[in-house]
Order: sequence, then structure tokens, then C-alpha cells
Amino acid sequence: MKKLIQFFVFSLVLVAFATELKAQSPKSDLVTVYFKSSMDCVDCEVTMTNYFKFEKGVKDLKVDWKSNTIKVVYKSGKNTSENLAKGIKKKGYDANVITEEQYNILMVEGTKK
Amino acid sequence: MNFHILFIMKRVIVLIALCCSFSCFSNPIKGKVFGYENSQKVGLPGANIYWAGTSTGTMADADGMFTIQPDQKTNLLIFSFVGYNTDTIQWNGEETVDAVLDQNKELNEVTVVQRNKGTYISKINPIYTELINGAELCKAACCNLSESFVTNPSVDVSYSDAITGAKQIKLLGLDGTYSQLQTENFPNLRGLATNYGLTYIPGPWLESIQVSKGAASVVNGYESITGQINANFKKPDGIEALHFNLFASDEGKTEVNSNFSVKLSEKTSTAFFIHGENFQNRVYHNIDGFLDEPMIKQIHLFNQWKYTSGTGFMIHSGIHYLNEDRVGGQTGFRKNMQRNDSNPYGVNVNNERFEGYMKAGYDFKNQRQGLALITNFTYHEMGSYYGLNTYSGNEYTMYGNLIHTLYLDKLDVHALSSGISIMVDQADEILNQSSINTNESVPGVFSEYTFKPSLKLTLLAGLRADFHNTFGTFVTPRFHLRYGATEDLSLRISAGKGYRTPRVLAENSFLLANARSLNFAENNILEEAWNYGASINQEIHLGEQPLSISAEYYRTEFINQLIVDRESSASQILLTALDGKSFANSYQLELRYEVLPRLDIKAAYRVNDVRQTINHQLVRKPLTSKYKGLITMNYADRLKKWMFDYTVLFNGGGRFPIVAGSQLNSQTEFPSFTLMNAQVTKFFRYWNIYGGAENLLDYTQDQPVLGADNPFGSGFDATRIWGPVMGRKFYAGIRITLNHKSK
Repeated sequence: MKKLIQFFVFSLVLVAFATELKAQSPKSDLVTVYFKSSMDCVDCEVTMTNYFKFEKGVKDLKVDWKSNTIKVVYKSGKNTSENLAKGIKKKGYDANVITEEQYNILMVEGTKK
Repeated sequence: MNFHILFIMKRVIVLIALCCSFSCFSNPIKGKVFGYENSQKVGLPGANIYWAGTSTGTMADADGMFTIQPDQKTNLLIFSFVGYNTDTIQWNGEETVDAVLDQNKELNEVTVVQRNKGTYISKINPIYTELINGAELCKAACCNLSESFVTNPSVDVSYSDAITGAKQIKLLGLDGTYSQLQTENFPNLRGLATNYGLTYIPGPWLESIQVSKGAASVVNGYESITGQINANFKKPDGIEALHFNLFASDEGKTEVNSNFSVKLSEKTSTAFFIHGENFQNRVYHNIDGFLDEPMIKQIHLFNQWKYTSGTGFMIHSGIHYLNEDRVGGQTGFRKNMQRNDSNPYGVNVNNERFEGYMKAGYDFKNQRQGLALITNFTYHEMGSYYGLNTYSGNEYTMYGNLIHTLYLDKLDVHALSSGISIMVDQADEILNQSSINTNESVPGVFSEYTFKPSLKLTLLAGLRADFHNTFGTFVTPRFHLRYGATEDLSLRISAGKGYRTPRVLAENSFLLANARSLNFAENNILEEAWNYGASINQEIHLGEQPLSISAEYYRTEFINQLIVDRESSASQILLTALDGKSFANSYQLELRYEVLPRLDIKAAYRVNDVRQTINHQLVRKPLTSKYKGLITMNYADRLKKWMFDYTVLFNGGGRFPIVAGSQLNSQTEFPSFTLMNAQVTKFFRYWNIYGGAENLLDYTQDQPVLGADNPFGSGFDATRIWGPVMGRKFYAGIRITLNHKSK
């Protein structure tokens, strides 16, 4: 028991550092997609964040309910924008792909609320 | 605690008049901005209308009418008005654009939305209150309430003796008995439960903890002197459907915590909680022949019900059952051995407890008043022995509180909470051959007035009178003031009185692990103290993240107190009433800052100046650290899939109790020491795993048990505890959480 718990703790620390180091690797194959959605509360933001962070290939994420936008950075080849949009719709919200420019405008408006 | 959040319902009706679709491109756009006031559609005078991302805009006139020139760069028109949700409308060349804005809805709920910060100080509450939520509770192995304070600068956790594993907390440098322990906002775990009460509340069952320092509200009684600690359990109508937690330490301690909730209907829900812990290994690192940690078996079951009518009526009730057995002492001790001085020294404490509570509330619609009833009943049975000392007892406690809240005017500037309460406590304790009976019944009345003329200022003044069957009538005044000078700076001052009838034996039973006999009069002391405090909270904007600084000072001054005197006599420990001065000063400075993205650092330093009159001399309270320093670091990766927590605690030294004519006097001060804890957590969609270590430096107190080679001799003392008894401990665990489907 003693050895087992100690071994577990050490391997957890090791895996953690390995993952952190791997995260520093080149970002050339990363794709960013922006969505306009239809969330209407803080809780939706929490729900969506928790949903997306465990989706395949997702590396970075910003869900903002005020501007009703979702920004997802994912590894190409691991996921697709269509698949991510499907996920949002499955949760009951709209998912319209928008450009980075539109996204930025919406974000600015969001902060005014 | 009323942490208001803006819950904004975004439902906008856009009325676009499509009367002319040609030849109006460069004409100004006309329109009207509407809002609903008492379900009447009215124009909103002074509403702002502007083009997205520009400074081109206009203001609506007295009727809510406006005109605006088209913009070259954008076709997104934004409408905003104080008290209403901002709306954006896409303009497609229409001549008139009307907008209907929705009113902001403010929900009066105690909801904690901060997801990053595990602990924060309420900016709104007039009483200095620290909120500890689920995020913070996950930062430590956190098996029970006492361990959840490990990362908290305000609360100290220490062992009271080297054998029973009883844990004490200290607030403002004073013993935990001076801060009122509450569960679900009613006083709990008093009397016989005092010594182990903190270990009866499993961390994974908790939703949040509130620690308020200084004089507390009079609504919950006269007992809190240094502050209040309130633990809130997860609710049956919460989002969590199932939670399962399994924990194991390398020494062989295992723990299971589980809770699940069932929504029987829209209005009724119930939740079941199970806690089991088992530790049966005999662990002894030092050579004194005593176990470092007692062997423990505990089972705790809890069932909660909640009914919300939807028309202002709410009822919430629950029942608890707990059974715990602790065995400590010399390694050779077995429970079935005959108790005499030729067998090894042993300690056994068995507790069984039943508790039921019911809270009901009614909100009178449109009458600006509410009524709440809180009742609680407990039965506690305890049997124990410490070597040749036998101590047992049973206790019935009943508590009732009826609170009426009235808002005196439309704007909630004046509010009044008044009510009546009753506390009944009946206990029979037997120590060796002598019996002690406690019979308390205390009806009381109270009233608390809140004056909140603006968001900046809150004033809270409370008064209560209680009618004790032994001590007669006593009055408790308390006062709080909060002033938010700016959005980033708030000041608080408080002053108040508190009383307590100490349960001499029940609260000090751990002193039985000692060769000296306890000398005490019956329960005939009414402790009485004043507490004064002041604090400043300032947020400084450095870069993107605010640096939050808080400084506070509290002073507790006793008029009467139960003093544990280990110094006057070499053959006895005297538990007597204070004769002279007794006070505690606490100075604390705390900084919080996100140094790097997602790396939060909290640093705190507190000086405890605690003095008592013992044996006619004003001296520093023995076994109390002079200071405490704390640094906690929390780092999470970008998506919060990994989390690292690291805590360093610096404990200052302090004074040993000096016994005249004893050989123990060679050392008069105990040293300062440092403790370190670390934990790693990995999150998955429905579960997470964690592993960590407590007391990384493996620091333990020298000689926790004095006279260990002859535990039945006159030199035996296992109660001179100032530091950790247990060495480095590795642990690991898993938490599984499933949420109810959201709509």
C-alpha cells in the first residue's frame, strides 16, 4: 500500500511535467475557429467551457456569454470545426462560424454589457 | 454574503419597419427605444445609441426617440441604458429601427461564481467574511473540515494532544471554542462534540465554508467571540447528481465519501451522503513506543430533503448519524486488555451521534418581509478512557430560532431582522467516580438593524438579550460598519460582546492523557469578552490582474474566562476562572496576486499576541505560536486540466508551560518550524485524480509524549503539543462527479 501510493504520486508528478513540456512544442498545426452562439447565462459559459476542454485536440478555449462567442484553438487532424459546431448544437446552442474580425467586434460589445 | 450576480435574460424583440426599401441609404435613421416598466411599454429617455466599435452615437430624447446618421464602417447598432440589458441590432438600410430593451434582473442569491479564486473576501458583507468554495476545498486532500483550513491564513489547525488525534482550530490566536462552529447557519458540534467536531464534517460533502472574523451577527446567538465558521453542505437541488471520492494514504488510511441527489419533482429533491474512514495500522516513527496517530473507524450517514413551493415557501431538513471509534496509546496496547498499570497505556474514545434539523422559510410576496424557522436536535453519547481515567457522558441539545426580516422602505435602505430563540442543553458526564450534570436552558430575543443608504455604506447594529437558567439575563450588543471608499478600497470596523458557558470537562477531556489530575469546579463560569476589529481591503491594478492587499487588526478582551492552569501545581492541572487580565491581539497582512498567467500566489503573515493571567502573573498563553506565515501557490495549465498546489507554513515558536519544581523547566520556549504541502490534480471530463504529500520536510515535534517510558508514572504528559506528531504522508485519491442534465 505504502509503495503503491508513493509510486502513484511520483508518476502523477512526472506525467504532469511531461505534459507541460509537450505543450511547449511548435504550434504550427493549430487551427482557431470562432463561433457566434446563443448562450444566455453565466452557467452556460461554465457548461460549455467544461464541455470543450475535454474535446479531442482542443488546446485553448474562450467561451464568453456576454458577447455570445466561443473561440476554440485545436490541433488540425484531431478535430474539425464542423465537429465542434455539432457539439455546441448538441448542447442546445447556436453555432455560426464567424471571422476573427466579427469576433473581435462582438467581444468589444460584450464588455460594455 | 448576499453576493449579487447579474443574471441577465436576453430576449430582445426587434421591430423593424420596412416601409421604404429604396432611396433612403444616406438618410438619417430614426427610431425609438422602449423598455418595460411595471409591464407597460414605455420610451426610455436618455438611452444611448451608437455604432459598434466607434464613438459615433447619440442619445434618445425625453420620449425615447432618436436619429442617427449611417456609419461607413459598420452596420451594427448598439442600444444601452442603465438598468437594462444592452442590445445590438444589425441595420440593413431600414429607415426606422425600434428597440425594446429588457430589464436587468438581479437575483438575491448566495451564489459564488468566481471559478479561479478558491477563497475570497466578500466585498459587500459588512462583516469581514472569507468564503472558501469547492475550488479551494480541492486544493488539499481535505478529508474533513479541520484539514480544509490548511491553505487558509486566518485559521490555525493543531493537535491538542499526542494520542487522540483531536484537532483544534484557532481563530485570531484563540482556541476554536471561542469561534462559533455552525453547519447550515445554526450552531452545532458543541459540548461533547467539541474536541472531535471538526473531523465529523467530511470535506467532499461541503459546498462552501464561510469564516467571519470578529464580532458576528447576533441572529445566531451570543456565543461567538472571535468569529464564526459556517459549513454549508451540498444541496439536493444543486447541479451535482453524483459525487464519489476515494482517498488513501501511504500509511494505510482509507476514506470513502459519496453523495447523490434525486429530484423527485420540480419542487422536491433529496440527497444521500455517505462517509466511511478506516485506519487500522499501527504507525510509530519515533522511538517513544506510542502510536503517532490513533487508529480510527468512522461512519457518517446524512440524508437531506428540500422542498421549494415556487410561491415563496421553502423547507429544508436533514438527519445525520455518526459513529466513531479511536484507539491510541502505546504500540502494544489492545482494546481487549485489562486496564491496569502493568499493561500498556491505551486510550479509547467512542462517539455516537444523532442529529436532525429543519429549516423553513416563507417570503411574503410584495410585502417585503420574510419569516424563517431553524430548529435542530442532537443526541450524543460518548465513552472513553485515557489510561486509568474513565470518562463518559451523554448529551441532548435542542435549538430553535425564529427570524423575521422586514424591509422598511422600497429601496431596501432600512432592514430589520428580529426574532426569538431557545437553546436547551442537558448533559450527564462521569469522570472516574464523580459525575457532572449540565442543565442549560436559554430563551432569547434579538433584533438587528441594517442601514444601507448607498452601495458604499452599510451599517449593522444588533442587540440581543438572553435569559439563562443559571446566570440570569445578559445583553449582547454588536456593531459593524463597512465603507467602500472606492470600488477597490473597503474599510470595516466592528465591535461586540460575546458570552459562553464553557463545558469544563468536555472541552478539555484530552488533558486526561496526562499524569496530573484535573482540578475543576462544576460548570459555573460564564465567559464574557469584548472583541474589536478593523480591516482594510485594497485592490491595486498592476497590469491585467489586481493585487489585493488586506490588513486587519482584532483585539479580544476577556472579562471572565476559564483558564487552563498547568503551572501553579506540580500535581494538578487547574481549570479555574480568570483572576486578572486576559487578552489577544491579532495583526494580519495578506497579499494575493496572479504573478504569471494562471499562477496565483497568496502570502500572509499574522502576529498573535495572546496573554493570560496564570498564577497571578500576566504571561503569554502557553503552547501558542507567536506568529504564522503562509505562502500558497496555485498553478493551472491553460485549460485547467492540470492543477498544482503548493503551501508553505511558517509557525513561530512560543512558551512552554512552566511547572514549579519540575525537571521539565530546562526548556522554556519551543522552536519555530516550517511545514510544506504539495498536491497535483489531473482533471478529466467526469472525474479527476489527485496525489500529494503533507509535511514534505518530515518535521515532527521532539518528544511529543513526556515520560513515555513510564506512562503510569508522575512524569507522563502527552498534552504538551506544539508541532506535528506525524511525519511526511503521501496520499492519492479519485473524485468522480456527474451533474444533472441542464435544461
